[in-house]
Amino acid sequence: MVVFTCHDDFESMMTCIYDAWAARLGHSNIKLRVEPIEEPELFCEYRHIHPDPEKYRKVIRSIRSKISENAYQDVYRASMHWNPDKLDIIYRFLVLGFAMGPRVTRMLGEPYVAALFDLDRKVTNESHQFREFIRFSRLNDQALFSLIEPKCNILTLVAPHFADRMPSENWLIADKKRRIALIHPSDKNYFLTPVTPQELAHMEEARKGDTYSSLWKAFFQAVGVEARANYRCQRNFLPLWYRKDMTEFSR
Amino acid sequence: MKIKKEPDLEEKLKILSDAAKYDVACTSSGVDRKGEKGSLGNSRACGICHSFAADGRCISLLKVLLTNHCIYDCKYCINRRSNQRIRTSFTPEELCTITIEFYKRNYIEGLFLSSGVIKNPTYTMELMYRTLFLLRTRYHFRGYIHAKAVPGAAPEIIQEIGYLADRMSVNMELPTRESLQLLAPGKSHQAILRPMGQIRQQIQDYRLSIGKTASMERHFGNQYLAGNIFSSSGEKSRLAEAFTGTLPGGSRGASEAAVTGPAPSPVPIGGKAPSPKDSHRPFAPAGQSTQMIIGATPENDYQLLKVTQALYQQYDLKRVFFSAYIPLNEDRDLPALDTAPPLLREHRLYQADWLLRYYGFQADDLLSPSRPDFNIFLDPKCDWALRHLELFPIEISTASYQELLKVPGIGNKSAWRILQARRCGRLDFSSLKTMGVVLKRAQYFITCHGKMRYHIPVEEDFITRQLTQNEKSSLWELEHPRTYRQLSLFDDHFLEAAPTVEDSRKILTGQL
Ligand code: SF4
Repeated sequence: MVVFTCHDDFESMMTCIYDAWAARLGHSNIKLRVEPIEEPELFCEYRHIHPDPEKYRKVIRSIRSKISENAYQDVYRASMHWNPDKLDIIYRFLVLGFAMGPRVTRMLGEPYVAALFDLDRKVTNESHQFREFIRFSRLNDQALFSLIEPKCNILTLVAPHFADRMPSENWLIADKKRRIALIHPSDKNYFLTPVTPQELAHMEEARKGDTYSSLWKAFFQAVGVEARANYRCQRNFLPLWYRKDMTEFSR
Repeated sequence: MKIKKEPDLEEKLKILSDAAKYDVACTSSGVDRKGEKGSLGNSRACGICHSFAADGRCISLLKVLLTNHCIYDCKYCINRRSNQRIRTSFTPEELCTITIEFYKRNYIEGLFLSSGVIKNPTYTMELMYRTLFLLRTRYHFRGYIHAKAVPGAAPEIIQEIGYLADRMSVNMELPTRESLQLLAPGKSHQAILRPMGQIRQQIQDYRLSIGKTASMERHFGNQYLAGNIFSSSGEKSRLAEAFTGTLPGGSRGASEAAVTGPAPSPVPIGGKAPSPKDSHRPFAPAGQSTQMIIGATPENDYQLLKVTQALYQQYDLKRVFFSAYIPLNEDRDLPALDTAPPLLREHRLYQADWLLRYYGFQADDLLSPSRPDFNIFLDPKCDWALRHLELFPIEISTASYQELLKVPGIGNKSAWRILQARRCGRLDFSSLKTMGVVLKRAQYFITCHGKMRYHIPVEEDFITRQLTQNEKSSLWELEHPRTYRQLSLFDDHFLEAAPTVEDSRKILTGQL
């Protein structure tokens, strides 16, 4: 068994798919995994694949033209899932897709198609929730910043929404776990960039100094009607897990 | 004791949001607007919830009063003139800054601005106007704005605000004239309906000017529902009748003419005529809503639902909200202070409201003068079905959309899926389940290719017993929200398909 491995970003994954395919080892003789590989298996050969812009573009072009634009978007979102098996699922989905064409996205009876949609749905839901629950902080008139720790890599999926919402503001959203940040300079396009633990720690500290957070907490406390208090219902809509980076639940 | 010191901004916010929290409509839905360079904000028709308060309700907008000063003395209201409270007001600048800074931090989708009446209604709305004008022009705010119209304000100022707001609302407060007189002596139905009629007219003018239909869009399913409350063939409830016609011994005297008068007839806008340009500026594009207080006065559910239907039909309201009365003041005309808010009743009314807007029911299908209140133990649709067993069972493989919707356990989505699926293949009970049909309830009312799921007698008492057993435990939870989960519109066995996260948000914001 040969295992093709790569970093957990879209360009690397697409390149990895390209190389796995081109190796012609037979689909059943290979596996694809994103790194890190927690427990290497004994009788596997591991091949690390470096990202290659040319191969990456070729794979994307094929998905779009031979399958469909929808399939491409599904694959993109699925690739943002935290599950390390996602790359293998995407690969198998594409194997089927290149044989079947656009109708593959309707073949929910196929296990890899169903698995891909499960990934897609989870990522889509999470990016939805972060659109609502992301909180920005700001010191004086500096840029707005937000620290989050999503399970899936949702930065590029929430970006268009916030870019539309605040086109002329400087803002950034940093993913603490993946140590990447989405930067949006006012009136310009956004981009991704790595952040250091020091920068994250600095922001973590700085958000305590935002004067509007206490105003928001005051509002949040005042607006609930005691006679209707219903913490169970609140928890259903807003699971505790999401609250850790939300201003109104911070101490 | 008078408090001299002017409260600081945080204190003001506490006071003025605390005073506004009893208004229930906090949705940001109904309008799609993209962002724009140089401006701040956009708007999504589906609405976005940013948080959930301790009472489980969604927080979408900064819901505040401009001031809690009030010249009126509505008995149920925390801000009534005769209450000893700290009174304060926001300046327009303060309110703009808070809105903008909250919005940038992704706390809110926009502003819900209401107000106590300071000096007089027109003056109050001028202050509101100044705030909204600043927000839209100086602060270039493109997010959502919901503005209350104060009954009695000049039509010109209501018009000006309508061009800045996305949604407007005038609170109906109480469904009958008698109750209103008793509890809100400063208000009259006429004064409430006049701005409502004006807003309806101006929304309509705007819609026609941009080539839309005169009436607001409704759920697409309604076009397949004969006799739904929005269709012109549907029986229209006259608001005037709804107000008085069913009160026990309600007199239909001369005073009634006053109510029929101002209905949706165009309101002459005195003073400056709207310039041609004005007619193309969006006027309250997310429509108009209202709310009624439930349980402070003796009206029955039938009266409430009749008024609700009439408001949809005559004023083309986007939503009617109900608010379970929470005792805040002691008064001999009010329920005692320890009265629990009638949450179950409020819940039943929302369910019935759903049936009017999405299921093709009319108020008179659900209740009547001789059966004026909802069944405590059954949701309104089950209750209706049990009283109409002669229409059941319905054959799933041939029934129309409208017939399917009448079945307890089948909702819009599952009905739609059934129609799609039976074109391609044969239906059976297990496939119905995957389409979101709740068989636990639907099984008593349907056949599939001539067969019922089990051999069950179509017999009222039997089915009632079966169905109420399912519901009892949930009802207890509803009445005891502190210990148990409150039912919301979708786990109340009413919307059948397990909703996705997205769906539940939409339901909360009234967009499903
Ligand atoms: S008008 Fe009545 S309901 Fe409105 S704030 Fe004043 S007292 Fe309260």
